[in-house]
Amino acid sequence: MPQADPSEAAAETHDANGVDRAQIRDMLRLTPEQRLLRVQEFVESVLEIRELNEKRPVR
Amino acid sequence: MKSARFGETLRVLVRHDVEFIVVGMAAGILQGVPLTTLDVDVVHRRTTENVARLLNALDELEAIYRGDPRNLSPSASHLMGPRHQLLSTTLGDLDCLGTVDDQKTYEDLLPSTREMHISESARVKVLELSVLLEVKRRAGRPKDLAVLPFLEATLDEIRKQG
Repeated sequence: MPQADPSEAAAETHDANGVDRAQIRDMLRLTPEQRLLRVQEFVESVLEIRELNEKRPVR
Repeated sequence: MKSARFGETLRVLVRHDVEFIVVGMAAGILQGVPLTTLDVDVVHRRTTENVARLLNALDELEAIYRGDPRNLSPSASHLMGPRHQLLSTTLGDLDCLGTVDDQKTYEDLLPSTREMHISESARVKVLELSVLLEVKRRAGRPKDLAVLPFLEATLDEIRKQG
Protein backbone atom coordinates (compact mmCIF):
# COMPACT_ATOMS: atom_id res chain seq x y z
CA MET A 1 0.00 0.00 0.00
CA PRO A 2 1.55 3.36 -1.00
CA GLN A 3 2.47 5.70 1.79
CA ALA A 4 0.64 9.07 1.80
CA ASP A 5 2.96 11.94 0.95
CA PRO A 6 3.25 13.95 4.20
CA SER A 7 3.96 17.13 2.23
CA GLU A 8 0.48 16.89 0.66
CA ALA A 9 -1.13 16.74 4.08
CA ALA A 10 0.91 19.77 5.15
CA ALA A 11 -0.22 21.71 2.09
CA GLU A 12 -3.85 21.13 3.06
CA THR A 13 -3.37 23.12 6.26
CA HIS A 14 -2.65 26.26 4.21
CA ASP A 15 -5.47 28.46 2.91
CA ALA A 16 -5.61 30.27 -0.44
CA ASN A 17 -3.44 33.09 0.93
CA GLY A 18 -0.79 30.65 2.10
CA VAL A 19 -1.67 31.10 5.78
CA ASP A 20 -1.09 27.99 7.88
CA ARG A 21 -4.43 27.40 9.60
CA ALA A 22 -2.95 24.65 11.79
CA GLN A 23 -0.62 27.20 13.38
CA ILE A 24 -3.59 29.44 14.11
CA ARG A 25 -5.52 26.55 15.69
CA ASP A 26 -2.45 25.75 17.82
CA MET A 27 -2.29 29.37 19.00
CA LEU A 28 -6.02 29.41 19.79
CA ARG A 29 -5.56 26.38 22.08
CA LEU A 30 -3.17 28.43 24.27
CA THR A 31 -4.03 31.08 26.87
CA PRO A 32 -3.08 34.69 26.03
CA GLU A 33 -0.16 34.44 28.47
CA GLN A 34 1.09 31.25 26.79
CA ARG A 35 0.79 32.93 23.37
CA LEU A 36 2.96 35.83 24.53
CA LEU A 37 5.51 33.42 25.99
CA ARG A 38 5.69 31.40 22.79
CA VAL A 39 6.45 34.51 20.72
CA GLN A 40 8.77 35.88 23.39
CA GLU A 41 10.84 32.69 23.46
CA PHE A 42 11.17 32.80 19.70
CA VAL A 43 12.15 36.47 19.58
CA GLU A 44 14.58 36.13 22.50
CA SER A 45 16.26 33.25 20.67
CA VAL A 46 16.58 35.38 17.54
CA LEU A 47 18.03 38.25 19.57
CA GLU A 48 20.56 35.91 21.21
CA ILE A 49 21.66 34.67 17.79
CA ARG A 50 21.89 38.25 16.51
CA GLU A 51 24.03 39.24 19.47
CA LEU A 52 26.27 36.21 18.98
CA ASN A 53 26.77 37.13 15.33
CA GLU A 54 27.49 40.76 16.14
CA LYS A 55 30.50 39.44 18.06
CA ARG A 56 31.44 37.12 15.20
CA PRO A 57 30.94 38.99 11.93
CA VAL A 58 30.00 36.84 8.92
CA ARG A 59 32.79 36.86 6.35
CA MET B 1 17.60 45.76 21.83
CA LYS B 2 18.76 42.78 23.85
CA SER B 3 15.42 41.66 25.24
CA ALA B 4 11.78 41.27 24.24
CA ARG B 5 9.95 40.29 27.41
CA PHE B 6 6.50 41.41 26.33
CA GLY B 7 4.55 39.93 29.23
CA GLU B 8 6.80 41.50 31.84
CA THR B 9 6.62 44.89 30.13
CA LEU B 10 2.82 44.80 30.30
CA ARG B 11 2.85 43.61 33.90
CA VAL B 12 5.00 46.60 34.92
CA LEU B 13 2.41 48.94 33.37
CA VAL B 14 -0.39 47.09 35.18
CA ARG B 15 1.49 47.23 38.49
CA HIS B 16 1.71 51.01 38.14
CA ASP B 17 -2.06 51.21 37.42
CA VAL B 18 -1.46 52.70 33.98
CA GLU B 19 -4.59 52.91 31.83
CA PHE B 20 -3.64 51.63 28.37
CA ILE B 21 -4.82 49.54 25.45
CA VAL B 22 -2.57 46.99 23.73
CA VAL B 23 -2.69 47.60 19.97
CA GLY B 24 -0.50 46.50 17.04
CA MET B 25 0.76 42.97 16.55
CA ALA B 26 1.02 42.27 20.28
CA ALA B 27 -2.79 42.64 20.35
CA GLY B 28 -3.00 40.20 17.46
CA ILE B 29 -0.66 37.69 19.13
CA LEU B 30 -2.64 37.83 22.39
CA GLN B 31 -5.71 36.85 20.37
CA GLY B 32 -4.00 33.99 18.55
CA VAL B 33 -2.38 35.43 15.42
CA PRO B 34 0.68 33.25 14.65
CA LEU B 35 3.15 36.05 13.93
CA THR B 36 5.96 37.71 15.85
CA THR B 37 6.86 41.27 16.66
CA LEU B 38 9.83 43.03 18.20
CA ASP B 39 7.90 45.62 20.19
CA VAL B 40 4.77 46.27 22.21
CA ASP B 41 2.47 49.10 21.10
CA VAL B 42 0.10 50.66 23.62
CA VAL B 43 -2.28 53.62 23.45
CA HIS B 44 -2.28 55.29 26.84
CA ARG B 45 -4.95 57.51 28.39
CA ARG B 46 -3.69 61.08 28.16
CA THR B 47 -4.76 62.51 31.50
CA THR B 48 -2.33 64.19 33.88
CA GLU B 49 -2.81 61.44 36.49
CA ASN B 50 -2.36 58.56 34.06
CA VAL B 51 0.67 60.09 32.39
CA ALA B 52 2.26 60.49 35.85
CA ARG B 53 1.65 56.76 36.50
CA LEU B 54 3.04 55.90 33.05
CA LEU B 55 6.16 57.97 33.75
CA ASN B 56 6.72 56.00 36.97
CA ALA B 57 6.43 52.73 35.03
CA LEU B 58 8.77 54.02 32.31
CA ASP B 59 11.23 55.09 34.99
CA GLU B 60 11.24 51.52 36.37
CA LEU B 61 11.75 50.23 32.82
CA GLU B 62 14.58 52.78 32.27
CA ALA B 63 12.87 53.87 29.06
CA ILE B 64 14.77 56.07 26.64
CA TYR B 65 14.03 57.16 23.08
CA ARG B 66 14.97 54.47 20.60
CA GLY B 67 17.76 55.37 18.22
CA ASP B 68 18.49 58.70 19.86
CA PRO B 69 22.18 58.95 20.83
CA ARG B 70 21.35 61.44 23.62
CA ASN B 71 19.58 58.70 25.66
CA LEU B 72 16.67 61.04 26.38
CA SER B 73 13.79 59.89 28.58
CA PRO B 74 10.20 60.78 27.68
CA SER B 75 8.62 63.66 29.59
CA ALA B 76 5.03 64.28 30.68
CA SER B 77 4.57 66.83 27.88
CA HIS B 78 5.67 64.25 25.29
CA LEU B 79 3.26 61.66 26.66
CA MET B 80 0.37 64.15 26.85
CA GLY B 81 0.67 64.74 23.12
CA PRO B 82 -0.92 62.75 20.26
CA ARG B 83 2.34 61.53 18.73
CA HIS B 84 4.15 58.20 18.98
CA GLN B 85 6.90 57.85 21.58
CA LEU B 86 9.15 55.01 20.40
CA LEU B 87 11.08 53.78 23.42
CA SER B 88 13.73 51.26 24.31
CA THR B 89 13.49 49.70 27.79
CA THR B 90 15.35 47.12 29.86
CA LEU B 91 12.64 44.59 28.89
CA GLY B 92 12.47 45.44 25.18
CA ASP B 93 11.00 48.03 22.86
CA LEU B 94 7.79 49.77 23.93
CA ASP B 95 5.87 52.26 21.81
CA CYS B 96 3.58 54.62 23.73
CA LEU B 97 1.12 56.00 21.21
CA GLY B 98 -0.92 59.11 21.96
CA THR B 99 -3.31 58.27 19.13
CA VAL B 100 -3.65 55.71 16.33
CA ASP B 101 -5.76 55.29 13.21
CA ASP B 102 -6.40 58.93 12.28
CA GLN B 103 -6.13 60.47 15.74
CA LYS B 104 -8.20 57.94 17.71
CA THR B 105 -7.56 58.29 21.42
CA TYR B 106 -7.70 55.83 24.33
CA GLU B 107 -11.28 56.90 24.97
CA ASP B 108 -12.23 56.41 21.29
CA LEU B 109 -10.80 52.88 21.24
CA LEU B 110 -12.08 51.77 24.64
CA PRO B 111 -15.47 50.41 23.38
CA SER B 112 -13.55 48.22 20.90
CA THR B 113 -11.41 46.43 23.48
CA ARG B 114 -11.58 43.18 25.40
CA GLU B 115 -9.92 42.33 28.69
CA MET B 116 -7.42 39.49 28.67
CA HIS B 117 -5.41 37.84 31.45
CA ILE B 118 -1.65 38.02 30.97
CA SER B 119 -1.02 36.33 34.35
CA GLU B 120 -3.12 35.07 37.27
CA SER B 121 -3.46 38.58 38.65
CA ALA B 122 -2.88 40.92 35.70
CA ARG B 123 -5.43 41.80 33.03
CA VAL B 124 -4.97 44.17 30.12
CA LYS B 125 -7.27 45.82 27.62
CA VAL B 126 -6.59 44.62 24.10
CA LEU B 127 -7.91 46.07 20.84
CA GLU B 128 -10.39 43.57 19.35
CA LEU B 129 -9.01 41.59 16.46
CA SER B 130 -11.73 42.70 14.02
CA VAL B 131 -10.92 46.35 14.81
CA LEU B 132 -7.17 45.75 14.57
CA LEU B 133 -7.82 44.28 11.12
CA GLU B 134 -9.67 47.42 10.00
CA VAL B 135 -6.99 49.71 11.48
CA LYS B 136 -4.31 47.80 9.55
CA ARG B 137 -6.41 47.88 6.38
CA ARG B 138 -6.88 51.66 6.65
CA ALA B 139 -3.19 52.22 7.40
CA GLY B 140 -2.54 50.58 4.05
CA ARG B 141 1.24 50.53 4.29
CA PRO B 142 2.96 47.45 2.86
CA LYS B 143 3.85 46.22 6.37
CA ASP B 144 0.21 46.50 7.45
CA LEU B 145 -1.19 44.89 4.29
CA ALA B 146 1.27 42.00 4.67
CA VAL B 147 -0.36 40.80 7.90
CA LEU B 148 -4.00 41.08 6.74
CA PRO B 149 -4.26 37.43 5.56
CA PHE B 150 -3.08 36.26 9.01
CA LEU B 151 -5.55 38.49 10.86
CA GLU B 152 -8.42 37.46 8.56
CA ALA B 153 -7.61 33.76 8.88
CA THR B 154 -7.38 33.97 12.69
CA LEU B 155 -10.74 35.76 12.88
CA ASP B 156 -12.21 33.09 10.63
CA GLU B 157 -10.87 30.27 12.86
CA ILE B 158 -12.20 32.01 15.99
CA ARG B 159 -15.66 32.31 14.39
CA LYS B 160 -15.59 28.65 13.34
CA GLN B 161 -14.82 27.66 16.93
CA GLY B 162 -17.79 29.75 18.05
